[in-house]
Amino acid sequence: MQLFTCPFCGPRDETEFHFGGEAGNLRPDGADVTADRWASYLYMRDNPKGATREIWVHMNCGEFFVMERDTVNHKVETSIALDSAEHA
Amino acid sequence: MRNLAEKWAVVPDWQTAAIEVPGLAIRSLAGLSQYLVSGDLDAWSKVSGAPAKGVGAFGKAEGERYAAQVARDRMLVVSAAPLGIEPGWHEEGFGVTVVSAGLQAFEAEGSETAELIARATTLDPSAGSASAALSFAGANAVVYRHGDKLRIHVDRGLATYLWTWMETAARNIAAAAKG
Ligand SMILES: [Zn+2]
Repeated sequence: MQLFTCPFCGPRDETEFHFGGEAGNLRPDGADVTADRWASYLYMRDNPKGATREIWVHMNCGEFFVMERDTVNHKVETSIALDSAEHA
Repeated sequence: MRNLAEKWAVVPDWQTAAIEVPGLAIRSLAGLSQYLVSGDLDAWSKVSGAPAKGVGAFGKAEGERYAAQVARDRMLVVSAAPLGIEPGWHEEGFGVTVVSAGLQAFEAEGSETAELIARATTLDPSAGSASAALSFAGANAVVYRHGDKLRIHVDRGLATYLWTWMETAARNIAAAAKG
């Protein structure tokens, strides 16, 4: 078992959380978005080894937030509420 | 046609349903008025005269009217008597949803209540957590203390499941106590 920290609730069991995608993968806007840009948004992931920024949701309270963690050693660095996180 | 009803556990008669083993008694609470208040909780506090914050996980609620925090901007207001508050959006900046029929409330008491908590969740009951919403036996529930008892609110559709889970847990707790 691993504990994740919800910015509102504090440390909770990992099973209370759901992955929401890589942080910074913003939906393109407008009619002139290229197919490449759409493909990048929909299908291309960085999948980094090491430090990563991700969107997670604490399902019990509904809080969406940015979690910075390490994909190699699973260490969680920070959890930041979305309204105070830069460029979610 | 297949009778799918046979696949489901029979819903207990909540008026009389009781789980009782040495050190643990659980029953269903009837007649509570329950409201979800969402949005600007400070505005709610001004209008209602109630605190802008509810108790968190395993927090201690008191009296006939209180609130449990569910999320950053939402709380479950519980009252023994109906509140004279209009459901729907309030211009002050909050919404009120009546969920009295949506959530089933249970109350557990006795020296083995801590054992029930230990089996239902990995959360440390003494650590505190801003919201009372947590996974209890795998179901999303609102859990706090009321006086020296434990109260658990769960979606009505999951109430029978949670009840059968608590029956099994109570049996196991009793068996473990016997050694
Ligand atoms: Zn949370």
